[in-house]
Amino acid sequence: MSEKKYTKDHEWVSIENEIATIGISNHAQESLGDIVFIELPSVGNTVKAKDEICVVESVKAASDIYAPIDGEIIEVNNNLENDAAIINQDAENEGWIFKMKISDSNQYSDLMSEDEYKQFLEQ
Amino acid sequence: MPINYKTGIINEHKNVRNHSGIFDVSHMGQILIENNESYLHKLEKYIPLQLKNLIKNRSHYSFLLNKDGGVIDDLIISNIDIKDKSYLYIVYNASRKKEDEEIFISCAPNAEKIYNENCLFAIQGPDSINVLKNIIDIPNNMNFFDILISKYNNSEIIVSRSGYTGEDGFELSVPNESAENLITDLLKNENTMLCGLGSRDSLRLEAGLSLYGHELNENITPIEAGLSWALDKERLEDKNLNGNKILSDQLKNKLSNKKIGLISTNKSMLRDGMMLFDNNNNEIGKITSGCFSPNLNKSIAIGYIKSEFNTDNPIFCEIRKKLELVKINNLPFVKKNYKKNGSVYE
Repeated sequence: MSEKKYTKDHEWVSIENEIATIGISNHAQESLGDIVFIELPSVGNTVKAKDEICVVESVKAASDIYAPIDGEIIEVNNNLENDAAIINQDAENEGWIFKMKISDSNQYSDLMSEDEYKQFLEQ
Repeated sequence: MPINYKTGIINEHKNVRNHSGIFDVSHMGQILIENNESYLHKLEKYIPLQLKNLIKNRSHYSFLLNKDGGVIDDLIISNIDIKDKSYLYIVYNASRKKEDEEIFISCAPNAEKIYNENCLFAIQGPDSINVLKNIIDIPNNMNFFDILISKYNNSEIIVSRSGYTGEDGFELSVPNESAENLITDLLKNENTMLCGLGSRDSLRLEAGLSLYGHELNENITPIEAGLSWALDKERLEDKNLNGNKILSDQLKNKLSNKKIGLISTNKSMLRDGMMLFDNNNNEIGKITSGCFSPNLNKSIAIGYIKSEFNTDNPIFCEIRKKLELVKINNLPFVKKNYKKNGSVYE
């Protein structure tokens, strides 16, 4: 699996064989607090980077999740339907939200590395 | 006061329902008004109670009303003696300090704001009495909405059996210099914890309690808000009370809106401001407060709908441009657990 990268909207992306796995960062789950519900994206949808594609509801607020790069949604983490709190427990592994077939790997290269994301959070 | 402490809103909420939790509500207004007939008469223009007849060492839930009977603020008003002098002790919303104090000072120029000198803590939950009894003398026969002066570390503190969670509990007004010690002493009980604004909101919503700025505002009367029980009915005949005619008419006639409780039928979250519709897409009302209910494991809400709407028909809530079915639920969502005559009652 490739290096994990991050967006300014606090999503993480990792890529294997042109399939991207996406979730929200540990920092994002911490600031959202207890997550109680997720509206998963629809499999088969073709989306563009920055499109709002699903919603995470925490006890505090609803937050939109954006597509980090262009592509087609090919799988969603159905475990989250019954237990969205998995994201609180393990945001960057078991708490993955959806997978995409990506169309432009350059978009991935433009995202932040883990160190860059850490610096971004400190700003 | 933060939204939550380390363990999160849901955990704090459950700890209050099962054990106890401590809220630092020092941001709220606290004022002492001398129990003087001329002051009380002036205050009775705004407060729908017979202030001269308030029972000593008891608290009352009431309001400040504007000329139309709309709610300027909701508050708790108590009759207590401090150092042999009789006072009305009023606790009011932080967001309404300016409006409320203008009224208090106009009625009683020597009214004494005490929130800069006194912190206000609430300990809530079934274990509150046991946690508190180790630190402060609490008489066994103290009931919900009783209030008294007690001692802690040589400081006089105001102790009322009250709260905003639907559980048994106490509110403690304590001089700043003793505040930190008091909290430290309370937290020595390992089953209690500090709780924030998030759980305060979900607890009060489950208990069906109103929040100023949501269920209550200057354009809503206590009767429209379903709180007519808190009005002294004799005062509604008194021309000295703001909005008395409007209020007594409202009591006799049908209101245009009614307050309801709602519960989501799936996992969608109901939030303040969401609109409600009937099955023909006609707007019938609006949500004023919504949250996730840890006790019911579903989203719950309070809102207003048109009185003419027949609640046997389905209601839909617009959530992110989709209409989702919601169910009416009687208020409160969770049984109240207050103490009266030596036992816990609902």
